[in-house]
Amino acid sequence: MASTSTAPRTLKVLDRNAPHEFVVPVKRINDARTDLPFFLASKAYSDIVTFIFQLNAAMFPRKGRKADDGREEIKEWDLSNPDVPFPKVIQRLAGMIERLRQMIEEAPPDPGPRRFGNISFRKWHDMVTERLPEILKGFIDQDVLSIGAEGPVRAEVELMAYLTGSFGSPQRLDYGTGHELNFLAFLGCLWKLGAFPDGEDGSIERAIVLGVIEPYLELVRRLILTYSLEPAGSHGVWGLDDHSFLPYIFGSAQYSPAISSPDQIPLEGSLPNAPAPGEVVKANTVERERRRNMYFGGIGFIYDVKKGPFWEHSPTLYDISGVKAGWAKINRGMLKMYHGEVLSRFPVVQHFPMGSLFVWERDPEAAEVTSTIHISSQPPRAQVPTAVSQPQRQPQLRNRLNETVSTPTSKSTLAYPTQGPNVPSGPNQPTRAPWARGGDAAQPPLHHPGPGQDRLRGPLSQTPDNGRMAAGPPSGRS
Amino acid sequence: MSIGGSDLDKAIAQLRACRPIPENQVRELCYKARELLIEEGNVVGVNAPVTICGDIHGQFHDLMELFRVGGDVPDTNYLFMGDFVDRGFYSLESFLLLLCLKVRYPDRLTLIRGNHESRQITTVYGFYDECLRKYGSANVWRYCCDVFDYLALGALVTGASTSLTPTDGPLSDTLNADTLPDPDAELEIETLSSTGEIMYRYARNSSPQASSQPTSNPPSSPNASTTPSRVGAAGTGATSSANGSTHNEGGAVLCVHGGLSPLIDKIDKIRLLDRKQEVPHEGAMCDLLWSDPDEIDGWGLSPRGAGFLFGADIVKHFNHQNDLSLIARAHQLVMEGFKEMFDNTIVTVWSAPNYCYRCGNVAAILELDEDGSNEGYVRRSNGDAGRLKAPLVQKRLEGPGRRYRVFEAAPQDSRGMPAKKPVADYFL
Repeated sequence: MASTSTAPRTLKVLDRNAPHEFVVPVKRINDARTDLPFFLASKAYSDIVTFIFQLNAAMFPRKGRKADDGREEIKEWDLSNPDVPFPKVIQRLAGMIERLRQMIEEAPPDPGPRRFGNISFRKWHDMVTERLPEILKGFIDQDVLSIGAEGPVRAEVELMAYLTGSFGSPQRLDYGTGHELNFLAFLGCLWKLGAFPDGEDGSIERAIVLGVIEPYLELVRRLILTYSLEPAGSHGVWGLDDHSFLPYIFGSAQYSPAISSPDQIPLEGSLPNAPAPGEVVKANTVERERRRNMYFGGIGFIYDVKKGPFWEHSPTLYDISGVKAGWAKINRGMLKMYHGEVLSRFPVVQHFPMGSLFVWERDPEAAEVTSTIHISSQPPRAQVPTAVSQPQRQPQLRNRLNETVSTPTSKSTLAYPTQGPNVPSGPNQPTRAPWARGGDAAQPPLHHPGPGQDRLRGPLSQTPDNGRMAAGPPSGRS
Repeated sequence: MSIGGSDLDKAIAQLRACRPIPENQVRELCYKARELLIEEGNVVGVNAPVTICGDIHGQFHDLMELFRVGGDVPDTNYLFMGDFVDRGFYSLESFLLLLCLKVRYPDRLTLIRGNHESRQITTVYGFYDECLRKYGSANVWRYCCDVFDYLALGALVTGASTSLTPTDGPLSDTLNADTLPDPDAELEIETLSSTGEIMYRYARNSSPQASSQPTSNPPSSPNASTTPSRVGAAGTGATSSANGSTHNEGGAVLCVHGGLSPLIDKIDKIRLLDRKQEVPHEGAMCDLLWSDPDEIDGWGLSPRGAGFLFGADIVKHFNHQNDLSLIARAHQLVMEGFKEMFDNTIVTVWSAPNYCYRCGNVAAILELDEDGSNEGYVRRSNGDAGRLKAPLVQKRLEGPGRRYRVFEAAPQDSRGMPAKKPVADYFL
C-alpha cells in the first residue's frame, strides 16, 4: 500500500481486514453558519487537505544523483516527463478520462437557440451517469470496486458519488471549483481504497497529478469549450480563474526549488530555469510553457477563452505575477487561497457529499484549532454591511500548512468563510440572490444533484436555454 | 472642495480617460447626485427621443464604444437601466462617469437602479473589492452605495413615434435587399451595425410570411381613436379629454431593470414605494430589479432566488392595464444584444459586449424616435372606458418604432499595462 504509518503526511489507506461500512455519500453542509465551521474541523476536510499537500509536495522538483557519475542533478516533473512512469492503474484511469472525452462526439452541441450554455451538455452528462457503472468496471479493478460487497453498500457507490459530481452541473450548465474538488475526492477515495501501488518519494502522487488530473483538466476544458459551460461561482474579473484552481497549485510547485524530501518544502525561491512569474503576460512564454507546466496550462486556457488585456480580465493572476519571492511563495499562497476561496466558501462546498471515506465527523486533532475560529468577530456577509472597514479576508490555513513547512504549531487561526453563505454563480449566469438560502425547499427534484451552487428552478426550467424567447427580428451578427 | 462647474468638467474629462477621481471628489459628487436623485420619482418620466441601454457591468471601454455608436452626452438623451457595476474591471470609472454626466446634464441622462446597485450584491460580485483595490479603503464604495439607494426604480418613456425615420446608411452585406420593406411603409424595426450599416428592417403590419418575424397576433392597429374618457400620462390614471392624431399613437414604454412583480398591477403602485433603502430581499421593489420573463403561464419561481419569472399573459395584461405598448428591461445576457419576446411586448436590452471578456456576445442599445407628427404635442396613451370588461384578447397599442444599434467590444490595442498591485494576504 502506498501509505504507511511512517508517512504521516499521506492519506491513510483503509485496512481491508478491518470491518468498514460504506455509506451512500450525502450532502451535509446545509447551514453556512454552523455546518461550514464544522466542515472545516471535520475529518473530511482534514483528508482533503492532506491529499492536496501530498500531491503538491510530490510536484516539487527533486534533487538526485546521476547514476553514471554521481553528480547532483535536478529532476523536474513537466507535463511530458518520461521520468514519471505511469503504473497500470494510472494508465487505466487516463483511459477512463479518454473514454469520457470520446463521448462528447456522441453528444454534439445543439445548434438551436440558446442563451449561453449548450443543452447538449445534459445529454453528455446523462450518458456518463448512465454508463458510469460499466465505465468504472472497465477501468478500475474489480477488487477495489467491490470492497464492502458483504455490506449493504459497496465502495463503488462512494466513488461514483464523487465522480458524477466532477464534470459540472447539467442543470445549470456550469462548472467550477466545487466540481474540481469532487474529482480530487474521487482520487482520494481510490487512494484510501488502496487502488494505487506503493511509490517512492512521491512517484505515485506525481503519476496521479500528471497522468490523471492533467487529463481530467484537459477534458474539462474540452467540455467548457464544447458546451459553453459557464463559470460557477466566479466574480467576473475578481476571482482567480473562472473555472479551475488545482492547476495553479500543482503548476507553481513544478517551478519551485528542488528538494530532497517532502519535509523540505521551501517558503520561497524558484527553480533556476523556471520562467519568471511575470511572464504570464507574454504570449510566447505561455505557448511554450503551457505544454510543460500546469500553471501555464491554466493561463493558456484563459488566453484561449478571454479576449482583452490579461491584467484587466485576470487582475488577481496579474498581481500574483508580481510576487518577488518566487514560485515557492506563490505555491504557498495558492494553498492558503484554496482554503480561503474554495474550501471555506459555502456555495462551493455546500454540495460536497460525505460518506465513509470523506467523513462528516469532527477531527479530534482539529479541536484546538476550531476553538479559535473568529466567528463572532467576523461580520457575516449575509448581513448587509453598512460599514466594512477592511477586506474580510483572513486567509490562514489550519496548522496543516505549517506542518508542511515543517513548523508544527498547535496554535493557528482558522479563517471563517468571509463571504458568508452566499456567493452566487458565474458571470454569464444570471446573478443569484445571496440571501436565497439553499433553496432546496422550493427546488423541484434535481435530476442531477451535484456540487456547486443551488439555484432555485421554476417551472419549465429544465430547458431554460432552449427556445426561451420568441423569435424576434434577426439581429446582431447575421 | 466642491465639484461644480469647471471642476465637474475636469472630473468628467479625467473619468473619460478612465482615471479615477480623488476620494474627496467622489464624496462631493455622490452628495450632489443624491440631492438630484432624491427629487426624482420612483418612475421617472422621460420624453422621446431617447436611447435605452442595458447592463454595463464595469466594462468602461465598451461604455465609451456605446457613446461612440449612440452619440455622446448631451447630444443624445440616454436612459440606463442599471447594473453599472460588478464583474468588470472598471465599475468605479463607469459608474462615476455616468454619475458625473447625470449631475452635469440631469435632463439628458436617466439612471435607474439594477439589482447590482446594492451593498450586498457588490460585496459579492466585485465592486467592493475593486474600490478597496483602487482606493485602499471602502469609503468610495460606501459613498456609491449611498447613491444607489436614491436611484429611480423605473422610467416611463412617452412621446415615442410609432414609425422610424429610415436611417440613411449603406446596406449591410448580409442583408438581402429583397427582404427590405416597401420604402413607403411605416418602419417599425431597424437594426444597425456599429458602423451604421443597415442590417435589418421591418415594416409595421408586414404580413408574417413576408418577414422573418413570426407573430401570432393580428397586426396591431390604431385602435385608440375611440373617444377616451380617461387620458393622461400612462399608468397614472390621470384624466384628460385630450385627443390627438390617430396616426402616431402608441402606448408608453416602461423601463425597468428586471421585470414585473405580482404585487404591482399598476404603475402607480411603483410610485408609492419607499425606494430609498437597500434593495430588499423580497417584495415589489426587489421584484422590479430581479424578475425575468420566461416561457411560462403566469408567475414562476425564479432560479435566481429573488424576484419571479413571468409569462406572456402577465406582460400583455400589465401592458393593457397600464396603456403600455412595450416593456424595456435588461438583466439577462442575450447573445444578439437584444431580444423581443411575447409578440414584441417586452424587450431585453443588453449593453455589455463580450461579457466578462469571454461570452462572445454583441451588445445593443435601443433608440426611440420622437413623435414629430404633432409638432411637439405628445399624445399620451390612454385607457378606454369599459376596457376592463373586454376580454383579454384586446387590441394592442401600437408599439414605438425601434432602432437597435448593435456593437461589439471596444478594440483592445490602446490600453497600457498598469503597475502590479500588492497581492492579497495569501501571498505575503
